[in-house]
Amino acid sequence: MKLYLAIMLLLPLAGGLTSALAGRLLPRRLLEFLICATVWGGFVCAALAAASYTAPLTVNLAPWITAFDLGAPLSLYLDPLSLSLAVMVTFVCGLIHIYSVFYMAEEGDYPRFFALLNLFVFAMLTLLLAENLPLLYLGWEGVGFCSYLLIGFWYQDKANADAGRKAFITTRIGDTALVIGIAWLFQLFGTFSMVQLNGMAFLIPGGVVTAIGVLFLIGAMGKSAQVPLQVWLPDAMAGPTPVSAMIHAATMVTAGVYLLARMFPFFGGSAVVTSAIAVTGGITAFYGASCAVAQRDLKRVLAFSTISQIGYMMLGVGAGAITAATFHLLVHAFFKALLFLGAGCVITAMHHEQDIFKMGGLRRSLPVTFWCFLAGSACLAGIPLTGGFFSKDSIIGALWLKGVPLYQALYVLALITALLTSFYSFRLVYLVFGGETNAHIHGSRELKVMELVLVPLALLGLCGGVLDLPGYLGGGFLGHFFANLAGGKAAEAPQATEIVLQAIAGALALAGLAAAHVAFSGKARAKRIAEADNPSALTSFLFHAWHFDDLYRLLFIRPYAALSGFLWQRMDEGVIDDSLDRLAQGVGATGTWFGRWTAGRISLYIVSFAAGGAAILGYLAWVTLS
Amino acid sequence: MISHHLLTLLVFLPSLGALLILAVRKSDALARLVALGFAVAELVLSGYFFTLDTVHTLYPAPAGFFQYENVHWIDFFGIRYTLGMDGISLLMVALTAFITVIGVGVSWQGIKERVPLHFALLLLMESGILGVFLALDLFLFYLFWEVMLIPMFFLIGIWGHGRRIYSAVKFFLYTFLGSLLMLVAIITIFLMHGAQSGTYSFALVDLIGTKVPYDVGLWLFAAFLLAFAIKFPLFPLHTWLPDAHTDAPTAGSVILASLLLKTGAYGLVRFGYPLFPDAARAFTPLIYAAAVFGISYGAWIAFAQKDMKRLVAYSSVSHMGFVALGIAAWSPIALSGAILQMVNHGVTTGALFALVGMLDERTHSREIDTYGGVWGKVPALSFFFLLFCMASAGLPGLNNFVGEFLVLIGTFKVAPLPAGFAFLGMVLTLVYTVRLVQEILFGKERKPLVMHDLSLREGGILAVLAVGAVYLGVSPSPLLELVKGPVALLVGVK
Repeated sequence: MKLYLAIMLLLPLAGGLTSALAGRLLPRRLLEFLICATVWGGFVCAALAAASYTAPLTVNLAPWITAFDLGAPLSLYLDPLSLSLAVMVTFVCGLIHIYSVFYMAEEGDYPRFFALLNLFVFAMLTLLLAENLPLLYLGWEGVGFCSYLLIGFWYQDKANADAGRKAFITTRIGDTALVIGIAWLFQLFGTFSMVQLNGMAFLIPGGVVTAIGVLFLIGAMGKSAQVPLQVWLPDAMAGPTPVSAMIHAATMVTAGVYLLARMFPFFGGSAVVTSAIAVTGGITAFYGASCAVAQRDLKRVLAFSTISQIGYMMLGVGAGAITAATFHLLVHAFFKALLFLGAGCVITAMHHEQDIFKMGGLRRSLPVTFWCFLAGSACLAGIPLTGGFFSKDSIIGALWLKGVPLYQALYVLALITALLTSFYSFRLVYLVFGGETNAHIHGSRELKVMELVLVPLALLGLCGGVLDLPGYLGGGFLGHFFANLAGGKAAEAPQATEIVLQAIAGALALAGLAAAHVAFSGKARAKRIAEADNPSALTSFLFHAWHFDDLYRLLFIRPYAALSGFLWQRMDEGVIDDSLDRLAQGVGATGTWFGRWTAGRISLYIVSFAAGGAAILGYLAWVTLS
Repeated sequence: MISHHLLTLLVFLPSLGALLILAVRKSDALARLVALGFAVAELVLSGYFFTLDTVHTLYPAPAGFFQYENVHWIDFFGIRYTLGMDGISLLMVALTAFITVIGVGVSWQGIKERVPLHFALLLLMESGILGVFLALDLFLFYLFWEVMLIPMFFLIGIWGHGRRIYSAVKFFLYTFLGSLLMLVAIITIFLMHGAQSGTYSFALVDLIGTKVPYDVGLWLFAAFLLAFAIKFPLFPLHTWLPDAHTDAPTAGSVILASLLLKTGAYGLVRFGYPLFPDAARAFTPLIYAAAVFGISYGAWIAFAQKDMKRLVAYSSVSHMGFVALGIAAWSPIALSGAILQMVNHGVTTGALFALVGMLDERTHSREIDTYGGVWGKVPALSFFFLLFCMASAGLPGLNNFVGEFLVLIGTFKVAPLPAGFAFLGMVLTLVYTVRLVQEILFGKERKPLVMHDLSLREGGILAVLAVGAVYLGVSPSPLLELVKGPVALLVGVK
């Protein structure tokens, strides 16, 4: 087992380093093969680990930071949560690596790209498998770093580099809260081991548990793009599309959910923390969906849908339904990667056009992409019997079963969001694939291969429900697998209740589809496109994502830059340094007045120093003798 | 015989090299080679000390010191020639030897005038700094403390840029004034100890036992603190640093940032706190405040800088705040972190100054505004630039993270409030770092700059530093083990 885990981590690391340091020296084909092989090798290791998995275990690889009673070794922890995510990550990333090889076929600076992709997989796996918090933090920052450079991969365009910077700094704000939480935990318990910490919450006052839980939540908000730290994710779409699929949809952005699920036993007892997580998730889910309705850029629609869907996962964690949250996380990874990769095919075919109001008719020219994208949209919308339906519904159901007013309000919010989700999902499908177009389609051999990658993801998204079917359909695999995890055992609902809850959610999804059909099919479609350039105030507000960016620019960014200049020129050079210069001048003038002694000649200073030293020694001699 | 005077050899070997260079100062090429030879020999010698695991000394050494020399010098004043090495000194010695090699390397071609003198001064400075890290007699310490200033003064004054004379004099006067007060304090405690015990001695081990009245102790510690805080530099005594750094030649900046700043921190750990523990405790809130404020203040001002060198200089103010914080906490973990952070900062900031120097040599501009899109032109240089910027921003897996993490965790344990404010620095550091990366490496070219990528020499220097940064980030445990014993003795835990 130790061997599997070590190889799973080392392969992508080795691939990334090889590409970074020697990528230019290797033939391109070999390098492409290598970076895909390392990830698939990781998948094989993960699968082997899953096959031989019996019980949770800790694996020590090497020491890392050791000082007195502080120990943060390189040790890994394997349990159903980390194992299932590791299998998913290596599989989805493996597919995206293959896709990337063809997507980036014309890119000249490919070694940098492949190096970062592989390093990302390494960092993500470290994050998932870490046994202690500092090692988790290493992966946490590692994925952030790779994401920063990949968003700004085409760095010559200032907007891309800016987007990367924004992502890095915004998430670092959350990371700082996380580190404070880590420091606090160490102060209280003297350990970083998550396994140990999870069993020790009862030793400290509830208020402290709450405070630490909130710090972890802020950390999760940054990485998982939850309100109010969500602003970086839409801009992150500046990166190449496979990057968006892999990092900003399927894997990295779920890190916050993973962290909260991992530490859930610790703060799960604090109602304040779980409610805060649920409320954050609920607001974010609604926020993301509302913004997605008004976007024009294909990738931005998907970005806001990601924000919204991660909000659902947060809702699940907040409701104490870890299994449901993880279930949705896994299924979402499949269908969201699918949607982004499908978008990549569309964008490639459309000569890098991303405005959905300028697309249309692609169902004929890109049939494979169309059917796969349709499957992904159905999952996103939660059309009954797709994977997305079952996973999202297990979260919504869990909210209802809490039976508390707050959670019932969130239940209603989640249903409204589900309706919106279905609407914008099919709005997208109708605008991109519906109607007719004269646009010339850029078909190529690369595009054919890229479309093939969509097929397995579409199948997984559609059939993802079998991972954890509801009780009346025979129950599911994840439910059993996670049974021993804290929060893994879902509240058992009577089958009748469960069926009713699912019927409501399914009906809403179909209603959203119907609404989108009315608004965007046939003649209505042309009308909407004509209207698109004169948006209403509400549409404009939603299009600008509730003006969060403008608000933050006003509140934080401008004052920061202004104060920075003020501190430098007025305070540091103006007050502190200037007063010293004046003092020195005053002393110098006095010196001149005393004689021509301090004329600025260094030799004189040194002679004076020697004379002074001699005088002191003389005084000492006198003191000693007398 | 020589095995009993290894420390003397260690301290004076570079001076010997300096004399040799001055003796044959006809040939520039020879001067470079001799300097490199001696710097490398010194590095090898310092490496040899890592292999000496048992106490190996002719003289009875104080606890923790595994190398020790203690001979008569000026008996009349109780001044002895005492050198000692424990784990902390060894780390600092190794850093000094390492960075001096780098310093010789980076000035290989950039220095065109009075080449022999330049390299001789580099080696002389190495001797002075090593003396500071090894002296255990306060008079001897003071002597080395002043000696190491003089070469730096000339390095800035002769080979500097811009307002070099102003900066050099400012640097000299600033640090010199601070250390004069320290000299007064040294003499005072010397006299007090003599009056109490009847034997006059400048030896640290003797003076530690002095009974200092509380209020006198405050003044004496304040004098020490002033000298060390200027060197550190702690807010608000830092304003000499941006000028000195900006106007110094590359090797001067590298050594200033990587080594001279560390002498202040080292002095506080070795002399300040042990000599006046009560006064140090009284001053702790002040040091916390200066450290924490300096972390944010330096980072915030760095963001506004237009000159790359000034930006890195202000970043030093911020980074050294973490070191001060760890020392002020005076807990095992925090102090270990602070000491490790001294090494980390030395490697990272030294590398950044070297990189800025390399860019400057190519384009003759340090203005951030003139760059842009450098990644497309010189990918290898850019790779290292990014690596060291990320190290500086505390990316885990690289060196600075380990030190800052230990300082923050250790400080939080004993003083949550200052640590809480220090966490802010994590964000502010990233803000100016990514601004630097973005404006230099990314975007479009703003001025047509012709650049060639790294030469073999430059690539070698940066690669060595990069290996150091990664090694310290991935495997800091051996070094932490090295300082564990001395730190335990200092803070008084098992």
